[in-house]
Formats: sequence, structure tokens, C-alpha cells
Amino acid sequence: MEPILNLRNVTWRHKIRDYSSWKPWAKRDGAGIYQIDLEVKSGTILGIVGPNGAGKTTLIRVICGLYDCDGFDKPESYRRKFIGYMPEQVRWEGRTSVRNALSTIAEMRASFIDVDKLLETVGLYSRSEDMMDNLSQGMRQRMSLACALMGNPEVIVMDEPLNGLDPLAQRAFTNLMKQLAKKGVSIIISSHAVSDLETLADRIALMHHGQILIEGTLSDIREKLDLEDDSDIVEMICAVTGIEPDDITLEVSQESLLPLRKIGGEEE
Amino acid sequence: MSSTNLGLLIFRERISAARMMVIWPLLAIFILLSSWGLSDPKASLPAEIVVDSAYDVMFTSTAFIIFSATLGAVLISFDGISRDRISGVLEVKLSQPMKRSTYAKSLILGHWGAIFVPVCILNIISIFVIWYRMGELPSIEELFIHTLGTALLLLWYTTIQLLSSSLARDMGSSIAIGIGAWMLFTLLWLIVTTVVAGLSGVGVENLNSPEYIRIEGIIDLFSPNGVYHHLLEMPLDDIDRGISPLYISTAAIAWSIIPIQLFIKRIERLKP
Repeated sequence: MEPILNLRNVTWRHKIRDYSSWKPWAKRDGAGIYQIDLEVKSGTILGIVGPNGAGKTTLIRVICGLYDCDGFDKPESYRRKFIGYMPEQVRWEGRTSVRNALSTIAEMRASFIDVDKLLETVGLYSRSEDMMDNLSQGMRQRMSLACALMGNPEVIVMDEPLNGLDPLAQRAFTNLMKQLAKKGVSIIISSHAVSDLETLADRIALMHHGQILIEGTLSDIREKLDLEDDSDIVEMICAVTGIEPDDITLEVSQESLLPLRKIGGEEE
Repeated sequence: MSSTNLGLLIFRERISAARMMVIWPLLAIFILLSSWGLSDPKASLPAEIVVDSAYDVMFTSTAFIIFSATLGAVLISFDGISRDRISGVLEVKLSQPMKRSTYAKSLILGHWGAIFVPVCILNIISIFVIWYRMGELPSIEELFIHTLGTALLLLWYTTIQLLSSSLARDMGSSIAIGIGAWMLFTLLWLIVTTVVAGLSGVGVENLNSPEYIRIEGIIDLFSPNGVYHHLLEMPLDDIDRGISPLYISTAAIAWSIIPIQLFIKRIERLKP
């Protein structure tokens, strides 16, 4: 399949306040993503999995052009036009109606957007005149999805979209994702659990400390790491970094990025 | 994908917000009642203020516009960015293909319109109040200066407020910065003027001395309220604080361009 988006050596670090400096405006590099290589193929679903703070959201924001960064085969203007973005848990609120809120976002795109059709696609047509304050979490997720679907994007990027959805809504959501992929839309979806993406993603990229540790189909990854069929993210990270599951603590490393490691834990 | 269309949508959203139920009566009380009271022929005003024409009434009532309309601008715009930022909606908006500078202009237009339109409507009604009470209408030139000055004043406050909203990471800081800026220019500027006058060797015992009035005129160029008053004083023959109209116009242009450019730059660099 044709790659629709290529990332080569993409690195981006958050700037954080440097309290060790006398200058109040001084900033230093904080956590981020480091030397990311990814290939997004047309009509496939790529799952990005990793624990909290792995850099999934940062990577997604970089892909969508929210953070200015080099290393893409497509310019930022293209990515903002042809990549639909659904952030994690947007709290749509206010006294404005669902239709008006969506129309405001649609006005920010160059092409004509059929708001009614979008509302039908995400199942919010019957609630289009409701105030956003009255929407449930599931309906707010649908609002975010409607924004991601605007302008027939070639790639849809979703940051933990299944969070806060009940099992029925999750199933409806995954069905829609599969339909979109069949139509040729590429989907990048992040999650902190492999089980969420088990039946959905064609390929998985495992992230930890801002780096992609391993990438491939789920069965390939499990085979490479010599893991069981029901293994999840903990087992995968342990297999790559060499940490024992019993040694995992809540301690947070001072270093934002750990050295790259080969499978088995050896430093590269 | 123009800033006008998006600005109109933002305007529609802001003007129908719940807080307008507080702002409308606040503006109506201050603007209409001040016009009603000041246009009373029997009214005796403090500080030897003489109000004997329709424009005099409009000019004097701007003290109430400064107090209420600028507060309205703060109340409308304080969460213009921070609310979207906290809720995550800003991420959705900034990921759209629209240029960030165009989005910034739409925000200014929408928020400014939401305070300027009510003030403008009430100003028009107040002209009829003055006409009813005094039997006199202001000239077209006076009306133009008054409307332009009010529009600019509200633009400056809206932009400053949106800028502070974009700097704040939470709603509380956003309100604090906005109210702080409003208090500085509306309530505390006299202290700034007095301190500068004192440091410049100008006696502050007599606030009507020509030296103090001149330095007050200069310091006022650095405050939006001061520039607003300078603009409104232009048609008045009996007020001359010794500041050239060129300086006043330059200050008005600077107050319009600098905060807008700072806000656009801020939105261009903003990380959600």
C-alpha cells in the first residue's frame, strides 16, 4: 500500500521553565518525542500505544501541525488541510447549539462543509439544536469526531478516542473507523491499552519515554518479543526495556528521554 | 475562510451568552441614566462642569461609558481564549487550515462587536433622550468623533483582554489580569499621573495648574481611557490641554496597532 505520510527523524521537545536560571524567562528542553520514524499507509489503521507520558499526544499534535516540526514529507499546510484531528476528551460547552458550534469550526476550513451531513454521520442530527452544555460525554466525543471528519480528510488522527465511551459507543466507534479505512482513509489512533486496538489496528507502534520502541503488526510484535497472545502494554515494555514487571514503581525519571534500547534492554 | 464570517459567528455566540443578561442592564443604567441626568437643565454638577449643549452631555457621560462599557469588554473577552484552551476546543480550532492570524482577527472582531453593538444601540437611544430633554442634537462631526472614539476604546480593551486571556493558563489568572488592567487604566491612572508629575517637579497641590494639566495630557497618551478623552475633546473649543492632534492620532493608532499585532503574534505561537 502507498504511504500517505512519512515521518523521518522527527524530534520535538516541550520547553519548560528553567528554575535553575536567574533569568525568569529562561526555558530548557523538557519531555517530548525523539527520533520518530513512521510510515502511514493509505487505508490502514495505525495504533500508537504507550503508558501515560510516553509522548503519544505530543506525536499526534506534531503530526497535525499544532507544533512546528521538521521531518515530514508533507508540509504543515497540507497536514492541516488533509489531516482530521480528534483530541482527547474535549469538553464542548456553552449556550451555543451543536449546529452553530460545528458551523464555527467549519468556517475555519477553505472548502464548503455540509454540517447536516456531518451531524448525521456521527449520529447527532436529532440533537443539533441542543445546547452544548446539555451533551453527555459520549455526545461530546461525537462532536470531536465530526470536527475530525470535516473536509474529507485523507488521514484521521485520534487521541485516545475510546476513553469515556460505554461499550456500545465504543463498538459503534470502531465500526465507523473500519468503514472509513475501507474507503481509503488512513487512521492513527492512540491508546494506553493494546486491548483497545486489538481488533481495530492493522499495525501498532509502541511508545515509551518519547521514543518508538517497536513497530509492526500485533502478532509480529508478540512474536519478536516472545510474548503470549493476550499480552498487553506492560509485558511489551518490560520485554523491550528488560525491566521486570515486579520492579515497576510509580517513580518518575528526572530524565525526560531515556536512551534508545534494543529488544532485551540493551542500550543502543 | 474569512475573518469577517468567523468573526460574525463568534459575535453571535458572545452576544447570546448568559453574561449579556448582566452587561445589558449595566450598560443601560450607566449610559441612558447618565444622559437623562446630565441633560437636565437644572442639574448642578461638581468641579464647575458646565453642560450646555448636546455634545457636552455626551462628552460628560463618557465617564460612565469608560466605567461600564470597558468593564463589559473585560467581562465578554476574559475567557475568549482561556475557556477554549481549558476545554480542549482550542486544539480543534488551531488544527484547522485557517491561518492563525486570520483566526486572531476573527476573535478580535467577534468579541469587539459583542460589546460595541450594545453600546452603540444605547448611545443612539441616549441621543434621543438628550433631544427629548434639551431639544438639541449633536452635529454629525461630533457624533462621528464620539462613535469612533468609543469604537476604538472598546477595541483596545477587547484586544488587551484577549491578549491576557491567551497568556493565562487558567480562568482565575485570566480574570485577574483583565480586571487588573481595567483597574489600572480606569481607577489607578490618577495615581500614576500624580506620581509622574511629582517626580517631574510639577506641583500636585493644584490639579488645575497649567503645568499639571499639560503633564496629565501627556501621561494620558499612555492610557486607552486618556487617549479616548483626548479624541473626544477635539471638537470642544473650551478644552485645550496643549497636546497636538498629531500626537493624539499617533497614540490612537499605536494603541490600535500594537496590542492587535501582539495578539496576532501570540496566537501564531500559541501551543494548545
